[in-house]
Amino acid sequence: MGKIILRVKDLEKTYGNTKVVKGVTFDVKRGEIFGILGPNGAGKTTTLEMIETMRPIDSGTAELAGIDVAKKPQKIKQIIGVQPQTAAFEEKTKLTELLAFFASTYGRKVDPLEILEQVQLTEKASSYPESLSGGQRQRFSIATALVNQPEVLFLDEPTTGLDPQSRRNLWDLIRRIRDSGVTIILTTHYMEEAQILCDRVAIMDDGKIIALDTPKKLIADLLSRGFTKEQQVEQADLEDVFIDLTGKELRE
Amino acid sequence: MKKQLLPIFTFAKIDIRRLFRDKVGIFFVFVFPLIFLLVFGGLFGQDRDISFNIALLNQSESEFAAEFEQQLIDNEIFTVNEDVTSLDIAQEDMNRGSLDAVVTLPEGFGEIDPEAGFPRGNVEILYDRGNEQAGVTLGSIMESIFADINAELVPVETPFSVAVEATEIEGLTTLDYIFSGLLGFTILSLGVFGPTTVFPRMKEKGIIRRYHTTPIKVWQYFAGNVLSNSFVGLLAVAVMFIVAVLLFNVNMRGDYLSLAILTIFGTIVLFGVGLAAGGWAKNEMQAAPLANLVAFPMMFLSGVFFPRFLMPEWLQTVSDFLPLTPLIDGLRLIITEGRTLLEIGPELAMLGGWMIIIYAIAFKVFRWE
Repeated sequence: MGKIILRVKDLEKTYGNTKVVKGVTFDVKRGEIFGILGPNGAGKTTTLEMIETMRPIDSGTAELAGIDVAKKPQKIKQIIGVQPQTAAFEEKTKLTELLAFFASTYGRKVDPLEILEQVQLTEKASSYPESLSGGQRQRFSIATALVNQPEVLFLDEPTTGLDPQSRRNLWDLIRRIRDSGVTIILTTHYMEEAQILCDRVAIMDDGKIIALDTPKKLIADLLSRGFTKEQQVEQADLEDVFIDLTGKELRE
Repeated sequence: MKKQLLPIFTFAKIDIRRLFRDKVGIFFVFVFPLIFLLVFGGLFGQDRDISFNIALLNQSESEFAAEFEQQLIDNEIFTVNEDVTSLDIAQEDMNRGSLDAVVTLPEGFGEIDPEAGFPRGNVEILYDRGNEQAGVTLGSIMESIFADINAELVPVETPFSVAVEATEIEGLTTLDYIFSGLLGFTILSLGVFGPTTVFPRMKEKGIIRRYHTTPIKVWQYFAGNVLSNSFVGLLAVAVMFIVAVLLFNVNMRGDYLSLAILTIFGTIVLFGVGLAAGGWAKNEMQAAPLANLVAFPMMFLSGVFFPRFLMPEWLQTVSDFLPLTPLIDGLRLIITEGRTLLEIGPELAMLGGWMIIIYAIAFKVFRWE
């Protein structure tokens, strides 16, 4: 970790008369898991989409691996992987075929089984995406974003709608991908997820970043301002109970 | 360049496989046009020999009448129903439609006129008013039979004559004509109804948007789709041909290479129409009415279900400029007249013009989401 791979400066986006991203600035270091947190409508997805070349940047700059996003979108697409919020794929198409197609768009030929193995879906190779469970679909969606061996992987709310087992499984997968050298930028509105998974987080509200640091530092800052929880923190919560009772095994 | 083509071929290969896994797709591409073929084939496929069911009431006892009766029975144009022996029964059969006409040789028919020295007579043909065509045709056939007999009895000079020649004599049926319209319909439904349903649905689910996050370009995505659909179009036309030839003896006068190339060309053009409509529409609510608006006028004006020459002239002129018209005309010229690609230049030029216009629009209006 160390070198900066993504520099975002004063990014803005306006839809009609509403400014949804109002001057966002942050850096992401190579090899980290960077989280963008915030309530719905905070502008997280729009910010990501501008960096992913999916939406034109109204003003400000984004520079990924030294390449200007607005000027060379095709070059950016070659080195990033994107998992959009809703993962949908053409029906009646085998997972291996979909992976082969996604790889072909980068001019690449891949071994689909090898990629499926990374996301523990080898036995589903000949299945169609519509027969996958929620967790499997998210894992497959990540697999399709890995076909070009991206430098940066964007995950938009990867765990929304998953059961606790699948979420934990996905966290492990995201960590493994990071450990293989991929920088990960994700959005979430689960605070606990951000705390466990992310090296650094940016908290967004109303189109602006209002805090940016490691989860530990953000909590320490809050406590140093004299914050105390009303109730004594318990040593376990209901999710711990749930996982203890139902186990960590994936249900799919 | 090879890298640019890779997504096109990969997509096309997967897309073709996908179609064969989709029962609804198979129905609309292969089965639906076949149903039309079976219906029209059943209606028009058997009329190679126009034959009339007639009843013959011979009330004359003359030798000439007996001979004439035999001649009608032997004639291939008529099927003489010998069970009908009275005018009442004949009338009933005509009402039911099982009899086209009654030919009566009245009393005294064919008896020799002592003054003239040859037989005379008047044949009476009775037909149902609802079956005008049969009556008129029968009348003119009878007249031509008598013209021959008359010429033998009373030699006369005929300075003018009419030589009527119908292609029917060469063995073309109504179905041969309609068949090219049905092929056009097959390609139309593949090209227009397919993409206008599929693309908007994929957009709503965000599938096409996901493609946009990859480096694939619009032209590559279009080319992949065009490739798979051309292959499927060719296959659908081949299936129609096999059934039409085996079941209905449809005549193929031209060469199959010209037919295949025109089929692919037509599929590309009509698929462009679907691509433009489906590529523009944000959702199915927008796409379905647009597809109907585009497809139905073509279906009725370009000669799919009935020949264009039945339409008023101004409408024919309008339909000349629809993209389906040159395709159907071209197919017809190849199939029924045995022309080659080189001999259907105007049709190809019209299709080519449409291809440029349609794809220019399709590229312009395409939206990834």
